[in-house]
Amino acid sequence: MLLRKLLRTAWSYKAQFISMIIMMTLGIGIFLGFNMEWKTIEYDVGNFFEQTKYADYRLYSETGFTKDDLEKIASIDGVDAATRYLSVNLEIKGDSKKALALDVSENYTVSQFTLMDGDGYDENGDGIWLSDKFAKLNDIRIGDTLTLEFQGLDISGKVAGLIKSGEHMICLADSNQVMPDFNTFGFAYISPAKLGEIIRERALNTVKDELKKAGVPDEMINEQAEKMLTDEALAEAADKAFLQINLLSALEKSELEDAVKEKLGKTLMVVPKEDHAVYKEAMGEATEGKAMGSILPVLFLAIAILTMVTTMHRISTQEKTQIGVLKALGFKNRTILLHYSFYGLFIGVVGAALGGVLGYFVCKMVMSENGMMGTYFDMPDWSAATPAFCYPIVAGTVLLLALISFLSVRVQLRGTAADALRPYTPKKMKKSVLEKLPFFSGMSFSTKWNLRDLMRHKSRFAMTLVGIVGCMILLVGGLGMRDTMAGFLDLLDNGISHYATKVNIVENAEREKVDKLIADLDGDWESYSGISIDGYTATLDIVCNENGRFRIIDENNKDIDLRDDGVYLCLRLADRAKIGEYIEFSPYGGEEAYRVKVVGYNRSIMTESVTMTDKYADELGIKYSVSAVYTNKDSSEIPSSELISGKQDKRQLMDSFQSFVSIMDSMVFILVVAAVILGIVVLYNLGIMSYVERSRELATLKVLGFRNKKIGQLLISQNIWLTVIGVILGLPAGLGTLYWMLTALAGEYEMKLMLGPLTYSVSILLTFSVSLLVGWMVARKNKKIDMVEALKNTE
Amino acid sequence: MAIVKFDNVSRIYTSGDHELRALDHVSFTLDEGKFVVILGPSGAGKSTLLNLLGGLDSPSEGTITVSGSDISKLTDNELADYRASTVGFVFQFYNLIPTLTVYENVKLVSEISENALGAKDMIGKVGLLDHLNNFPSELSGGEQQRISIARALCKNPKILLCDEPTGALDSETGVMVLKLLLDMAKNYGKTIVIVTHNQNIAKMADVVIRVKNGKIRDITEQENPLSADEVEW
Ligand SMILES: Nc1ncnc2c1ncn2[C@@H]1O[C@H](COP(=O)(O)OP(=O)(O)OP(=O)(O)O)[C@@H](O)[C@H]1O
Ligand SMILES: [Mg+2]
Repeated sequence: MLLRKLLRTAWSYKAQFISMIIMMTLGIGIFLGFNMEWKTIEYDVGNFFEQTKYADYRLYSETGFTKDDLEKIASIDGVDAATRYLSVNLEIKGDSKKALALDVSENYTVSQFTLMDGDGYDENGDGIWLSDKFAKLNDIRIGDTLTLEFQGLDISGKVAGLIKSGEHMICLADSNQVMPDFNTFGFAYISPAKLGEIIRERALNTVKDELKKAGVPDEMINEQAEKMLTDEALAEAADKAFLQINLLSALEKSELEDAVKEKLGKTLMVVPKEDHAVYKEAMGEATEGKAMGSILPVLFLAIAILTMVTTMHRISTQEKTQIGVLKALGFKNRTILLHYSFYGLFIGVVGAALGGVLGYFVCKMVMSENGMMGTYFDMPDWSAATPAFCYPIVAGTVLLLALISFLSVRVQLRGTAADALRPYTPKKMKKSVLEKLPFFSGMSFSTKWNLRDLMRHKSRFAMTLVGIVGCMILLVGGLGMRDTMAGFLDLLDNGISHYATKVNIVENAEREKVDKLIADLDGDWESYSGISIDGYTATLDIVCNENGRFRIIDENNKDIDLRDDGVYLCLRLADRAKIGEYIEFSPYGGEEAYRVKVVGYNRSIMTESVTMTDKYADELGIKYSVSAVYTNKDSSEIPSSELISGKQDKRQLMDSFQSFVSIMDSMVFILVVAAVILGIVVLYNLGIMSYVERSRELATLKVLGFRNKKIGQLLISQNIWLTVIGVILGLPAGLGTLYWMLTALAGEYEMKLMLGPLTYSVSILLTFSVSLLVGWMVARKNKKIDMVEALKNTE
Repeated sequence: MAIVKFDNVSRIYTSGDHELRALDHVSFTLDEGKFVVILGPSGAGKSTLLNLLGGLDSPSEGTITVSGSDISKLTDNELADYRASTVGFVFQFYNLIPTLTVYENVKLVSEISENALGAKDMIGKVGLLDHLNNFPSELSGGEQQRISIARALCKNPKILLCDEPTGALDSETGVMVLKLLLDMAKNYGKTIVIVTHNQNIAKMADVVIRVKNGKIRDITEQENPLSADEVEW
């Protein structure tokens, strides 16, 4: 019997029950989804790094490392493995738009790859192990021959295997590229033996050139050259090739720096994995996920739980007489309590189960090979992982629901059966502070009625506001994020970059040759290098932008006409010194220190930088080399040269951002949909509640002769009021949340909120539409009020 | 002159294949300005009749004519306008809006009725001017019922319909409220229909309608009804 009652009661409150289950599903689902997302990143990326022995530290030297250097470093206590390493970006021969990062791990103890197909690693192999994604997109198969251009030299080999590698898990050509594009840029490994041959060939060519210049007859050159190419010369050439040592070690950065200095007798640039683009970006994604996971889901879950508390309480008060009847019939308190707690438990369990499914899909939508991160991360395993703290939270939420229904029924059970039989009466009407306002008496009935109704049901009022504000936050946050991203790209495209091609210059190029190249290309140039400001790592950006190929802008996106008597700090470094104050920095690996005056602040989108003109740099006597030249020439018009390590099309770069934008779009889409569902469910639930509470008053108005439309307007006008208040509160809350999220999400970029008028109007309109739609859905029910029925009961 | 005419009116409630005739082929007419009492045992169909007359419900069969127009087939909006202009209700439970003050509860009807009377006047007439700014919950039951009478009359309706208006009051207060109701109706020349269990009230009526099992058992016109003071309560 009691069970039949349970089901019938559930049925009579089906709107509330369904909305509670939806709230619970959304709350748990979004909570789990967003938290699983970052955990999955940490878990899968961590596994992949471990599997491919991703280096903990990278040591860089401009002059290269000798075998002896490597042995010394490998012998440091706490260094588990170390290898000389090479990674250079090379164009595919005959297709200047496509390039590969070519890697060699000399002893293959660190920075390995994972084989996806074909032959495994062979240190004497003659083949090329190629990124499987690059191979697939460019229709390259195992056994095909691949030819790369290396400073005028061809590197050719058969594709031996298809691979993935931790070193290139986020496969970017340089720091300017944001999204991987395996169509144009991939990576490959060759064996140290093959590298040896290439180095030998190159050395031979150099010798031959010299001989030719010296006037040695052609037929003797080959023989002569072979003789001149000593083992020492070869080894020296190899040493110059390995500019990097990768190592596995649990040592602290400072410990390692000291040890390296002691062993090699010089300071080296020691880059921990935390500063390496791949690790930094991947962990950045996880951190962003955590930031997202800690605000949206909490908001959702909180709203879900609050709505359910209110709803449960209402149901139990409406059930008060029923409870009294059960009690009068002789059911034990315990039985009744159990009976009602079951509702909460039921909603909780069903909601949690559905939420788990939803969460999994949300997580998979982001973190799977075909999901949003699938275009960003290139890794073999995408299994989902859940943070441990999620389990107790989900279980706790379910129990909390049962507890809420238990508690709200227990309140009703207090006292005798007769007490319980007396129906629930809403709070007595009292004059509130509002009545004292001078203009209150002049207000219309509907206004007074609605205002007093709100004062009388404060919790419902507050909940509705929370729902609308929540909806507003999600909309402003979502759409604003998109706007800001679009504004950021526009700034990058049209505000800062006025070139067609960026030409990257090899590191130790001769300055005279570079100057000639700059003149040939009619370009501007830039030099960036690592500096330390009181131990803090930043980039020194020396610029010469006389032709305006790229611009330095201030915080209002206006061009800065650079002065030659000081430096500009990027906004993120702005709190280090005021304008007119001095800062001191020293280049990485150098002993010199420079004291410079800060003459302004600039917006540096990508890097945390200190910017100065070349004139000022020359005046200070800073040694630097040109890193990149910006030109209006198309990349195909620029002949390859030993000076050039890579070319980058601006259009291509902007296109690569496009996939980033599409990720953003789908996230915004989720947010907007979530916001609308959230708004509808919360408001509908509360609307029904308000409608039930006022059904007697509404029936009275009907009896008096008010038309349905007029009563509908009365109901909707309350919604409009609440929405106006909600929007007024929600807009700044949304902006605040957005700002908070952007600083947490895009720590590596200088972001500025850029919201278009469309975002404001869409957010406000959408919130109003949701509110009006729900108001209308509730007001429509009013038609069906049975006046006779509604007035039969006692007050 | 007949202001109300019931012609073969039935109200049938169906649940499943079960059919219940709350009113069964009822016909009668009422003259303007009369004081009508409807008597009958519980479940007889008294409230059903009153609700049909008041336009809260529509008949399943037959026609109801009020002031010459047929109200049995009106749309929702037309019915609302009919209620606003023609009838005033007083219920057993006073059905005041808890979130409006006494004054506002009465004043409310001027939103829908074009020939509404002055709200303050009406409240004065029921003797509650002191409580103008109180909320209903701050009044006693009798006071609330007086406000509900003021509200019904404020609309200036042709007919006043009262369903057990004293049912929730103690007898002393009940009499007081009843006297007030009758006085007011007389003063304003309203037709008044009261559903009651109280036989004493019937003694004062111009017309007494007895209802049983959904049918009218008889209609008595009393030539010389007693005045309220002559009735022994
Ligand atoms: N909504 C309804 N659904 C089904 N039957 C109903 C409904 N309303 C009333 N009835 C039935 O119609 C009949 C007449 O009811 P009505 O309320 O008119 O009685 P009444 O004479 O006013 O009784 P009372 O003096 O107890 O108020 C009753 O038998 C009742 O059961
Ligand atoms: Mg009745």
